[in-house]
Amino acid sequence: MVKSVDEYLSLLRKELAGSDAAVIQDALADAEEHLRTALAQALSGRPDMSEAEAVPPIVEKYGSPQEIAAAYRQMEARLPASLGRSSYAGHRSVFSRFFGVFADPRAWGALLYLFLSLAIGIVYFTWAVVGISLSLGLLVLIVGIPFAVLFLLSIRGIAFIEGRLVEALLGVRMPRRRMFSDDRTGFWTRIKNLFTQRITWTALAYCILRLGLGIVYFTVFVVLLGLSVYLIAMPITVWVLNMPAYIILGDTEYLATTWSIPFFFVLGVLLLPATMHLAKLVGRGHGALAKFMLVSKKD
Amino acid sequence: MWGNKKNVEETESADKKFQKELVSGVAALVLLTILDKATEPMYGYQIAKVIDGEAEDAAVLKQGALYPVLRSLESSGLLESRVEPSVSGPPRRYYRITEPGRTTLARWREMWNQMRTFVDTVMKGEGNGQER
Repeated sequence: MVKSVDEYLSLLRKELAGSDAAVIQDALADAEEHLRTALAQALSGRPDMSEAEAVPPIVEKYGSPQEIAAAYRQMEARLPASLGRSSYAGHRSVFSRFFGVFADPRAWGALLYLFLSLAIGIVYFTWAVVGISLSLGLLVLIVGIPFAVLFLLSIRGIAFIEGRLVEALLGVRMPRRRMFSDDRTGFWTRIKNLFTQRITWTALAYCILRLGLGIVYFTVFVVLLGLSVYLIAMPITVWVLNMPAYIILGDTEYLATTWSIPFFFVLGVLLLPATMHLAKLVGRGHGALAKFMLVSKKD
Repeated sequence: MWGNKKNVEETESADKKFQKELVSGVAALVLLTILDKATEPMYGYQIAKVIDGEAEDAAVLKQGALYPVLRSLESSGLLESRVEPSVSGPPRRYYRITEPGRTTLARWREMWNQMRTFVDTVMKGEGNGQER
């Protein structure tokens, strides 16, 4: 018999073990919202009633952890990811799969994310570094600790926002709600949790790491896209506009001859979809990294 | 022989399975109807209370099973939601029906009526067959 909301939540978490971390977080948030509201209602008229008395009928109505876990698993199986499944997958030829990437929203989303990642990386990095240095610097003063707490809270906020962005653009399932916290957990316990939970520190590391990754992503994809467009435009630049095309290898410059232009053009036509495929792949990899560093398995 | 324990258990689990299948189809219809009637966005517990108040046999629909349905309706664009902090306890997610949600509901209601008539007709027909 379940006697408290916390007990129910930990049972539900156990039942959901192995499910997507974000589903677990959503299910726990829903259950907590409902059970606490129902408990408050039940206790409001009856001050003599204890939580252990009030909870069993509420849980009976809400459904056992097994039933509820099954309901969420069923939903997750039916639910498409935010941008929908790639509509072009499967049955088509290698040719149309390769060029069909232009019709894949996931590839465009990933490309947009990778381009934005430099600017966003700079913001996260600056915020994290300024926050860390001020926190450490102020620790000798009395305001140091509250400042550090506020700073770490802001990092958790950034982790949530970044999660929404990753889900929208990369299609990786991330939490849709803030992590649940027991409202009866004491103020000091909450602060202690903030310092002891793995997720605070991995999220902080993510903010710093994000700049390095952002620079690499941005540079690689600007170069690849620029090169593709240049190669595709070569027939026009060379034949119509009469601009000479140079290829520089080491110290020697070669002038592209007229007969070689079609080859460069074909190369560009192949490079552009290849870049999109690479963006999709990198996006998936980054999504996995973000999930590992920003979503807590336990909490 | 029907009294032995194994058979009772089998009957119970078959009942449960049938009930679950019935409920999973109807839950979305019920939720859309309630949110369609509502004048203001509602959160999960409120919705559960409304269901409780309107139906005696609300126990067939576990309250906790409403939430995943709400989420899946939202992800298919029939509902929209926002989270608001509450005075006591964790923040609440308020749901509201969307325009596509309303048109879908109209269609689903029609389908539900057809299904109900169909099942009723078949059941009556079966009764007649036995009498003959």
